[in-house]
Amino acid sequence: MNEILADKDLTRRIEEISDQKLSDCYQCGRCTAGCPFAEFMDVTPNQVIRFMQLGLKEDLLKTQGPWFCAACLVCQARCPRGVDIPRLMEAVRTIHLRAKEGLIDVPEIDKEFLLDAPPLAVMSAFSKFTY
Amino acid sequence: MNTSLHACFNAVGIELAELPHWYCCGTTFTLARDNRMSLIAPLRILAKAQQEDGKVLVPCSICYNTLKRANYMLKENTETLDIINEHLEESYDGNEIVLHPLEFFRDNEELVRSKVKKSLKDLKVGCYYGCLLLRPQQEIQFDDPEAPTIFENFISSVGATPVDFPLKVECCGAYLVVNSPDAAVEASYKLLRNAQDNGADVVVTTCPLCYYNLDALQGKMKKAHPDFKEIPIFYFSQIMAIALGMEEKKLGLEQNKVSPYEILKEYNLL
Repeated sequence: MNEILADKDLTRRIEEISDQKLSDCYQCGRCTAGCPFAEFMDVTPNQVIRFMQLGLKEDLLKTQGPWFCAACLVCQARCPRGVDIPRLMEAVRTIHLRAKEGLIDVPEIDKEFLLDAPPLAVMSAFSKFTY
Repeated sequence: MNTSLHACFNAVGIELAELPHWYCCGTTFTLARDNRMSLIAPLRILAKAQQEDGKVLVPCSICYNTLKRANYMLKENTETLDIINEHLEESYDGNEIVLHPLEFFRDNEELVRSKVKKSLKDLKVGCYYGCLLLRPQQEIQFDDPEAPTIFENFISSVGATPVDFPLKVECCGAYLVVNSPDAAVEASYKLLRNAQDNGADVVVTTCPLCYYNLDALQGKMKKAHPDFKEIPIFYFSQIMAIALGMEEKKLGLEQNKVSPYEILKEYNLL
């Protein structure tokens, strides 16, 4: 049997870092419908928010969804409840990064790509995905 | 990009001065409310620009977004502004001084029109806005976030034919190109395909990162989608420089990975 334990501390931390109110989301799914990267995510944006609302810490911290968010803000522009979803995704990344769990292993990045790509691509990825 | 932008401003009688001792804005704007550290770099840039007593012209969409959002946040939240000012040698009062070249050219449209020397009317140009010029609208106030027109108007003012396409406001994949290149290839492919389906010969952008993704990833797009036809990508100032009749060395065309020469020759623009 799966034991579901709501982690209120996690919900509070997410709300603090993002400055968003999780109960504002009524799960219409419009964020996911417009997200250009939802097809790459194991858990879609509205599902990530559901994990947050229910305080499902383990599930939330396991999902790859927030790492595919490019902060393009299409969902933010379209949310009928005014929820700033990219801030919620950033909150998940922030919790990982502050626990020293980054996504990118810098020495692993292809050298040829690094020489070819504009510095702002690399700097942006570092600021979002490394601690 | 840099050469063509300077040349375009010179042509309309504006001398651009580089901000002394400028540094990186930190690229993306932080979305964590408790991360004040990331606001320091944009704030110092704004403070420097304020000392120079002018506007700060920001062609890159990412820098523009970061500076505008930092400015907005500090204007709304004077407590944060005070805390950060305490740690700076410079001080900044939160005034609005950030300007995008497209805003300048919109406000000086007649001047731009009067300088056009070559007719680009046969060139059909897909105007790609991407994300960060437009969103979040409340903070950026650049144009309508879903149906903007400033770029099309700019392209018309330099005499080319703008092409509207629905995905012009969708993301190219941005920095995901570093860690999830497939996602960036797919996103960029979809929007280029959408531009082509709507009749675009070329696509223009204002963001150096979009420019890279749309241009440099076309080889990978072709691998994933063999029927994809390459399409030249331009930085907006390159198109303007062509229209103003600039000599070829000022266009910076050697930076383009997908060759722009064939289409430009086809329309007698080189």
